[in-house]
Amino acid sequence: MKKLLICLAVLFVTYSGFAQSNALQQAVAKLDQAQTVKDYETLEKTFLGITEQPAWLAPYYAAFCNAKIGFLLQDDGEKIEPYSVRGEEQAKKALALLDAAKQPKEAAEVYTVLSMVYRTKVFINPMSYGRKYGTLSEQALKQAKTLDAQNPRAMFVTAWVKYYTPRMWGGDKDLAKQLATQSLQQLATPATGTDPHWGKAEDEALLSKFK
Amino acid sequence: MKTSTIILLLFAGTAAAQNKPAAGSTLKPVADSTPAVADTAIKSKRALHEVVISAGAFEASDRAKGASLTPIEAVTVAGSNGDISLALRSLPGAQQIGEQEGLFVRGGTSEETRQFIDGTLLRTPNYPSVPGVPQAARINPFLFRGILFSTGGYSALYGGAMSSALILESEDLPEKTSARFFLFPTVLGAGMQHLAKNNRSSFGFNLNYGNQSLYNNIVPQKPDYFSGPIYMDGNVNFRIKTGKTGMLKLYSGWGHSDVGMNNPDIDSVALKAGYQVRGWNSYNNLSFRSYLSQNWKLEAGAAYSYNRQENNLHLTNEKGNVVAIPYIPYSYKTSDRNLETDFAQGRLVISHFFPQGQALRFGAEQFYTHDHGRSNDSLLRVTDHLTAVFAEGDIYLADNLAAKVGARMEYSSLLQKTVVAPRASLAYRLRDGSQFNLAYGIFYQEPANDYLYQPNQLNFSSASHYILNYTKKANNRFFRVEVYYKQYQDLVKTIPTLSNNGKGYAQGVELFWRDKKSIKNLDYWITYTYLDTKRDFLNYPYQLRPSFAAPHTATIAIKKYFPDINTNVNLSWAMATGRPYYHINYNGIDDQGTTKGYNAVNLHVAWLCSFIKNKKWKDFSGVAMGINNLTGTRQVFGYNYSYNGMVKQPITLPATRSFFIGIFMSFGIDRTDDFLNNNL
Repeated sequence: MKKLLICLAVLFVTYSGFAQSNALQQAVAKLDQAQTVKDYETLEKTFLGITEQPAWLAPYYAAFCNAKIGFLLQDDGEKIEPYSVRGEEQAKKALALLDAAKQPKEAAEVYTVLSMVYRTKVFINPMSYGRKYGTLSEQALKQAKTLDAQNPRAMFVTAWVKYYTPRMWGGDKDLAKQLATQSLQQLATPATGTDPHWGKAEDEALLSKFK
Repeated sequence: MKTSTIILLLFAGTAAAQNKPAAGSTLKPVADSTPAVADTAIKSKRALHEVVISAGAFEASDRAKGASLTPIEAVTVAGSNGDISLALRSLPGAQQIGEQEGLFVRGGTSEETRQFIDGTLLRTPNYPSVPGVPQAARINPFLFRGILFSTGGYSALYGGAMSSALILESEDLPEKTSARFFLFPTVLGAGMQHLAKNNRSSFGFNLNYGNQSLYNNIVPQKPDYFSGPIYMDGNVNFRIKTGKTGMLKLYSGWGHSDVGMNNPDIDSVALKAGYQVRGWNSYNNLSFRSYLSQNWKLEAGAAYSYNRQENNLHLTNEKGNVVAIPYIPYSYKTSDRNLETDFAQGRLVISHFFPQGQALRFGAEQFYTHDHGRSNDSLLRVTDHLTAVFAEGDIYLADNLAAKVGARMEYSSLLQKTVVAPRASLAYRLRDGSQFNLAYGIFYQEPANDYLYQPNQLNFSSASHYILNYTKKANNRFFRVEVYYKQYQDLVKTIPTLSNNGKGYAQGVELFWRDKKSIKNLDYWITYTYLDTKRDFLNYPYQLRPSFAAPHTATIAIKKYFPDINTNVNLSWAMATGRPYYHINYNGIDDQGTTKGYNAVNLHVAWLCSFIKNKKWKDFSGVAMGINNLTGTRQVFGYNYSYNGMVKQPITLPATRSFFIGIFMSFGIDRTDDFLNNNL
């Protein structure tokens, strides 16, 4: 009886571990399909409930959901703040779970998302939030590129910034196109799994503005 | 006069306001940001359903979201001339009064609007008045990180203003160490701000010199100026963080002005009526705020201002010699008046915060006013000690229902009267995020010192406000409608005798619509103000529509940024139906009418550039130009009458259009890296 219990317990633990892994895998798969604020809101909650290893992924994806929501709401400054605040907390939590010296590529992913989260704070009202958070966003992005110069997602965010910044302040549409194209090349083969692999659709959306 | 500064900052603002601000160019090492104007509105921390009491007030804060105004947006309306009260005339509730400075709100005079900086009264926000020519503001409008323009129903923490309060919060530490200068035909100035390396203290100074004589030689003015107009001002500031949450700020400014002009005398053919006013002013403000513990906050303020004003009226003949004619009406046109005013205020406010965003605030303040001077041979002397105590609570009745209830008691030693003013407001948030607001309050104000020099039995005047408002903010658009009713009591009357027998009412509807979304890089707002008001005060024989009240007013403010050419275009348009005018003498009204409507378009264009491309030093420069009253419309604000009422002359602009063009430069040490390394 005792043995059976142990067996069952082991089975259960294994199963839940499996289910967990499945949960992260499933959530990321859903994330690849997400489009609306509602989709990302639901997914953020899902990611927050996931405790699977590697531990930084769940808060990373939650922060990414909030960043995406902020970008979707960029013309509705009244609504963005709570998402930005949560996104910042989650990104910082993910960073705390990483050792940037040993895991530079992972840390670069988180800094990229943190940069996007700060960008969403700018959307709240560029006049009042722009200077502070535009700067923070830029710095986080710089950090990401220092850690991993070839990260296609950091490249996309750079392209985005170069595209939308007026020339006088360092904007450069040609460079934006070049970076987005380069990023897209790296993302050409569709990746799966739980590692960060988003960016293709974002690159394509940005490049479509050049047509 | 400070147009250039405006443009400079306008640009600084625009740079930040571009849809997706750029990296690294204009950076703001802001350490902590306590909300601006925190104590004038209830703000819950409840993320998605925040209820903010907003009846009667327009708030522009450095934490504005969506389509709410930021201070820079509020003060950079074309035609504002560096004067915050002119800029706020583009908001509903204010009248378009072209011949005088100040804010005339909802049937009130400009005397009935008061400005407060960090809690303390700014007694003389503008240079001394000149008949028919609005005078510049003394204080740079970009000094503020929070602007709350209350057109009624404001908090018990403030008093002494029957119609409106303009509650200003000065900025804390500057973004960076910087220096600037600007050069315009009528004004030049320079200044710097130094931020300590540890980001915990700063100091700065500014000097401005304005002389309009060169400009007036090129653009002829109706008055014939024999002196100036000259304006000089300087200020220093010092700010230091104390402890974890404390902030101590000192601002000290001095100003001098001299305006002397001749106009044809209305009662004679050959004479000229001269008017000269010279003023010396010093304004000093010391403020401190700090959390005492997590739930207790202290705010203290002290202000001292000194004002000296010399007015001189005289008549000159054809040969330019001063003549004294000892009979009426000419005898009125020769006079001398010197007046010195000392004003001091001390103020203490303590706040206690309860869970769920509820709060209790209480405090006291003491005002001291001492006038001494003479008008011809009579002495002008008055001393008043006004004491006020107040308390106010922010109460959440439900998740979507908030109330602010308070009271204020004032005692004036001069009037020997005590008054108690209740204040209350209520906010109800609907499911769609829009909100209804209600506000009520009684607002007392002492009669102006001019009526207190002679023996009198005067009492406080008062106004009761009833306000209902609806706001909706969504999708970077902002809609607001407000209706109100006001009752004025105990207004000062000068005829037949000096008394408090005046009274009146005002009621109206106001609309505000702002849209930052529909057109890219274009921001506009539209307002409409309907005002129905009558009052019996001063020399009015009975209740009349006052001469500073137009029934219908509409304004449009447009800000458009062209990123490809680094140019910012700012356009404002104000229209108002005619204002009433009267010729009142002892027998009553012997002539009256309504002026033609007001219609003014102002245009400002700023082109921005950077001359020095150095890594450590960045300059932020440009060329700015503008035209006020672009269409050259002949504005009529009212009429001047001869003594016998037979001659009537329109009061118009001193020149049909006004122009400016100039350059500005600002250098800042780019310390982004220092800042970021401390923050990431």
